[in-house]
Amino acid sequence: MRSFYLKRIVSMLITIILITTLTFTMMHSIPGGPFTRERPVPDEIMRALNAKYNLDDPLPIQYLNYMKGLVTFDLGPSYSKIGTSVNDLIESGFPASAKIGLIASALIVAIGIPLGVISALKQNSPLDYFVMFLATIGITVPSFVIATVIIYIFAGKLGWIPSFGLDGWRSYIGPVIALAGYSLSFVTRLTRSSMLEVLRQDYITTARANGIKEFTVIMKHAVRNALIPVVTYVGPMIAAILTGSFVIEKIFAIPGIGRHFVESVSNRDYTTIMGITVFYAVFYLIMIFIVDVAYAFIDPRIKLKGDK
Amino acid sequence: MSKDKFVFIEQTGEDNEAIRPSLTYWQDAWRRLRKNKLSMMGIVVVILIILFGTIGPNFTDFSYSDQINEYKNLPPTLKLYELDGRYFHVSNDYNVFLVAEDGTLIERLVLDPLKRDMINKVYTYQLGEEDVILDFSYNLLPNKMGYDYDFTLELDGEVSQYPAMTKLNKLFPFGTDSLGRDLLTRVMYGARISLLVAFIATIVNLFIGVVYGSIAGYEGGRVDNIMMRIVDIINSIPLVLYVILLMVWFRGGGLTNIIIALSSVYWVSMARLVRGQMLSLKEQEFVLAARVMGVSKSKIIFRHLIPNAMGPIIVSIAMMIPSAVFTESFLSFIGLGVSAPMASWGTLANNALSGLTTYPYQLFFPALAIAFTMLAFNFIGDGLRDALDPRLRKG
Repeated sequence: MRSFYLKRIVSMLITIILITTLTFTMMHSIPGGPFTRERPVPDEIMRALNAKYNLDDPLPIQYLNYMKGLVTFDLGPSYSKIGTSVNDLIESGFPASAKIGLIASALIVAIGIPLGVISALKQNSPLDYFVMFLATIGITVPSFVIATVIIYIFAGKLGWIPSFGLDGWRSYIGPVIALAGYSLSFVTRLTRSSMLEVLRQDYITTARANGIKEFTVIMKHAVRNALIPVVTYVGPMIAAILTGSFVIEKIFAIPGIGRHFVESVSNRDYTTIMGITVFYAVFYLIMIFIVDVAYAFIDPRIKLKGDK
Repeated sequence: MSKDKFVFIEQTGEDNEAIRPSLTYWQDAWRRLRKNKLSMMGIVVVILIILFGTIGPNFTDFSYSDQINEYKNLPPTLKLYELDGRYFHVSNDYNVFLVAEDGTLIERLVLDPLKRDMINKVYTYQLGEEDVILDFSYNLLPNKMGYDYDFTLELDGEVSQYPAMTKLNKLFPFGTDSLGRDLLTRVMYGARISLLVAFIATIVNLFIGVVYGSIAGYEGGRVDNIMMRIVDIINSIPLVLYVILLMVWFRGGGLTNIIIALSSVYWVSMARLVRGQMLSLKEQEFVLAARVMGVSKSKIIFRHLIPNAMGPIIVSIAMMIPSAVFTESFLSFIGLGVSAPMASWGTLANNALSGLTTYPYQLFFPALAIAFTMLAFNFIGDGLRDALDPRLRKG
């Protein structure tokens, strides 16, 4: 067991180094530095700026410095927001993103999985058709459209929820629904199809034939196995939702990480782009790792490699 | 025994087993797919959207970049006010248009800057020699003082408060955008760009994924191990992020850049799928037979293995196209899409965002187009999976 974790952690570290190197090379190979403006900046100022941000060092040294900073979780200063570091941006943005993300993820798991199970148990009933209809809409309509429609109808026409910012519980409704919409539909569909497949298996018939209560058959024998593909999807999904809600944050004007990222993309603020990318990637890798560990708990058939 | 003792019964042929023409794998799949109504509907919709995007723009009177300054932000349905037998439409930004009875726009009335009374909210427009007076001061009154209309229109002493009828906009069936461009043409053009990006990206992904996956799967051993580690690493990067990074690196949008960005990452899942297929297929006898006969490696892969793995590959293509449309519109939406005046559905949706509360129809049509495309491809994909998945075969 331990050697499996060790192996996973080592490969995670290698991946992080690779991603960082890749982003670093990409951001530094863009022609024109971060201070290139429409109007040429006087040479002296340019030199001073470059010296201030250590951009006059040779690239390998800059790279080493950046990596050194990374080890101490220092992502460097932001180029376009003078006086703030990328760490500040992440610290200020993460709580808002995480709050919406957590609520959305909780909603997806708490609603999506039961809906999928129920709809599989009542296959081809009106309820099933209704749930699948909603889920299909959720998958086909892009989140930015859902978000704008929510703003238009519930914030604009009806005035039930505020159209921007995050104060009061009402303001969470819009972003959470828009953020959860796609994944909620996906999880519902996934749970349903995987549940249908499990219910066809012989061991379910055996369990029923043994006179086990229907509730126990479903909950203990069917759902547990049906959840395996769902967990595979939910892990990375949570990482993506907690961090990657750029569009939703932009539309609802939420001061989260995603908005900083989109802004840094349009401002060509390379350190911020780099920092947030690395942050995202690490987060994502950790979630995948957790999923792998979760497998062992859900599915006793899976023995992690190296387990004796 | 003589033959006379036997009586031949007439052959009826009833006992013969009905001989059905034997179907190939693809004929069989097609037969199944045809029975799936949703998938057939999906195919029809996709064909319609392709026609809509390719030959559609030839049938509209405007090009996607034509800007008609008189006709900005006009909705697809016009509320007409009748005055003196003529019909007028008042837009949300208080421009008055003369409209024919069937909903064809004739002209925008001239507003003399001197007759623009901003304080009392009364504008006087010129229609030839006559004056059309628009009084929209009602919104200023507290609670509108019980009036249930927003403005009145007056011509020759005749006053109209309520629209006489609502007509479809004949000239611009989908309305116009904030620069006076015909939205119908732009949505058609957007279909062209969105589908072009999706198809090319999918084909490139298909090609890279199939070649990469089949080499890894067929070679096996060390080569497979290294190649799959690389795939694992790419797979553990959030792909949207990587695409955004690439777009930043390219310094902005542009059709080719989007296609390159999309096609450089999404082959990973295809490679995994093909590798899995190869691993099981290469153990089969026909591969052994081919090898014994001295068929070259590449020929075995491309002639024998890949055609046999085509089923799952096609299902995955059908799922790849909508996700490419999705990603492209997402990129365009955060401002990394094709550059103006070109437009994809994502850019159109993004442009509509600023005026959403006043001109919701500008978002409606591109969003509808995206949703329809996604739905159609999803149905086709589901149907293909049912048709090609051998596990679901009966007898």
